[in-house]
Amino acid sequence: MIGIGSINPQDLRLKEKEMVLGWALVLPAVVVILSLILYPILYNVYLSFFDVNPQYANTYVGLENHRKVVSDPEFWRAVTTTVIYVLFTTLGTTIAGLIVALAMNKEFPLRWLVRSLILFPYVAPVISVVFSWQFVFDPVNGIFMDLTYEKLGLFSSRFNLIGSPSTAVWVAILFSIWKNFPFSYLMILSRLQAVDQNLYEAAEIDGCSPLQKFRFITFPELYFVIGAIVLLRIIWNFNKFEDIFLLTENVKVLSVYTYFKAFVGTMELGQGASLAVIQFLLLVTFILVYVKKVLKW
Amino acid sequence: MVKRNSILRKTGFTLLILFIVFFSLFPFIQMISISLKYPSDWGNPSLIPAQINLEAYKELLNIDQEMKNVPESVRVLLEETTDLTREQKDEILKKYKSTGDVFPFMKYFLNSFLLACSAASGSVILAIFGAYSFSRLRYPGRSMVQRGVLFVYMFGGILLLIPLYKMFVGIGWLSSQGGAFASLLIIYMVQTLPVSLYMLGNYFRTIPFSIEEAAMIEGATRFGAIWRIIIPLSSSAIATVFIYSFMIAWNEYLFASVFLKGFKELYTLPMGLRALFVSKNAIWDRIMAASVLTALPVIALFMSIQKRLVGGLASGGVKE
Repeated sequence: MIGIGSINPQDLRLKEKEMVLGWALVLPAVVVILSLILYPILYNVYLSFFDVNPQYANTYVGLENHRKVVSDPEFWRAVTTTVIYVLFTTLGTTIAGLIVALAMNKEFPLRWLVRSLILFPYVAPVISVVFSWQFVFDPVNGIFMDLTYEKLGLFSSRFNLIGSPSTAVWVAILFSIWKNFPFSYLMILSRLQAVDQNLYEAAEIDGCSPLQKFRFITFPELYFVIGAIVLLRIIWNFNKFEDIFLLTENVKVLSVYTYFKAFVGTMELGQGASLAVIQFLLLVTFILVYVKKVLKW
Repeated sequence: MVKRNSILRKTGFTLLILFIVFFSLFPFIQMISISLKYPSDWGNPSLIPAQINLEAYKELLNIDQEMKNVPESVRVLLEETTDLTREQKDEILKKYKSTGDVFPFMKYFLNSFLLACSAASGSVILAIFGAYSFSRLRYPGRSMVQRGVLFVYMFGGILLLIPLYKMFVGIGWLSSQGGAFASLLIIYMVQTLPVSLYMLGNYFRTIPFSIEEAAMIEGATRFGAIWRIIIPLSSSAIATVFIYSFMIAWNEYLFASVFLKGFKELYTLPMGLRALFVSKNAIWDRIMAASVLTALPVIALFMSIQKRLVGGLASGGVKE
């Protein structure tokens, strides 16, 4: 019998042992992730069908929560705001990241210092930078009003740019671009450094202009990394809460809207859960279209 | 012609670099500037304070605050009457010690520090074993676990907030201080765990298996190999993951705002700063000084691990 089968008992025992050990080591991590990420997500779907009260038992209401949410015009305003926010922040962050990466790929004095200084916006805690931004746009003391009203005379009076929802969303977008461009820049830079320099030399011999070099070498090489950055930015900015809420409560994107619905005032937790589900479904649809059309996976 | 063109291009490039640096750093400079200015100087757009004012920092760090609220007349009286004992003097001073509107920055700082440190430790310990398992051992279901971990990228905090809140209220943890703190700690740990697993897993794969094999032939157990070989060899990666998790917990606001709502004693820095800003005694210099002190540890930590973290970011091991 020995030597006929490719697996001998000794081997099998080792394999089994490895399996047991493998699962034993990864189990604690898997258990916490399952119980505190996966289970809550399913539980959230369940809650969206109930009238939820934090203290008492839930009562089943069927699709009532979803109906209430969708028939509220404020919800649709939040959807519009979210789309504007995601669209412009994603575009802005990616373009800014691309320009900065192209600049940082060139040699210049003190480049090492500049490269690390421009990462500051990305690493600093949100809470520590929002007040500085608010101060910049403060109607009384801020430098923005001082520049545009006092010095340039663009407006007829001082006003609070962060105060009204229609203008605050642009401040939030600018803030998000400022905060997140270093991430795009890092990803693009690391891809740029991997581009084969021979390609550029060959192009130079063929007489290509810098613009042509960018169009026909750099851009195709960067296509997929940019595609990935845009995808990540869409996911993250779609779910963004802190960067917006802490800067201004006036910009009601979906996450902020949900937060207000669920935790401020009457605490409509059921409707909040339903909103979270809808938000997630919107995101998934968006991603599926994007992955098919842009990344062609 | 060619020469002029290149000079033009050079100046243009330099201007671009300067603009990028200015754009990135302006809010930080603004923050430091205001934290050092006197109120009368706030409206002045110049970034350099006319006179340096350290009062805000002193107040936050609780330096020289003993005598601040004591009226001048009482102070003189205390100094001139020599027949009071020390205890009697302290008794009088105590009356003037205001506790109401002082912003307990140090307490919030400590809360944040404790929470972030324990969450990061938990995350790193679980991640070391988990990452070792799926970077070294072969077993059915391994790739599913590995891919499932990345799936978490898709979920924003708001999606988890309501069910987790309901769950922790359900088991009664949110009715006591200790429970609220513990539940927040566990949540932060779990939120950073997937990224820790991913980053450490990638690093462990770069360590040659032959080193462990040699140790195990010499009679070391698996745990011995992890303890004596893997952990020392990847100490810098572990430090990076720890700091990364620390930073996530240090910055978090959403969950803290819901879970710690009733417990002022437990406020983390983001909670405290926001409460200070919303409250009546929000004063720009105090807010800005607190901002500087909140950003400082994170930026210092970041600078210490910059090289490695940048590599980690670029290889995709990051979640916001």
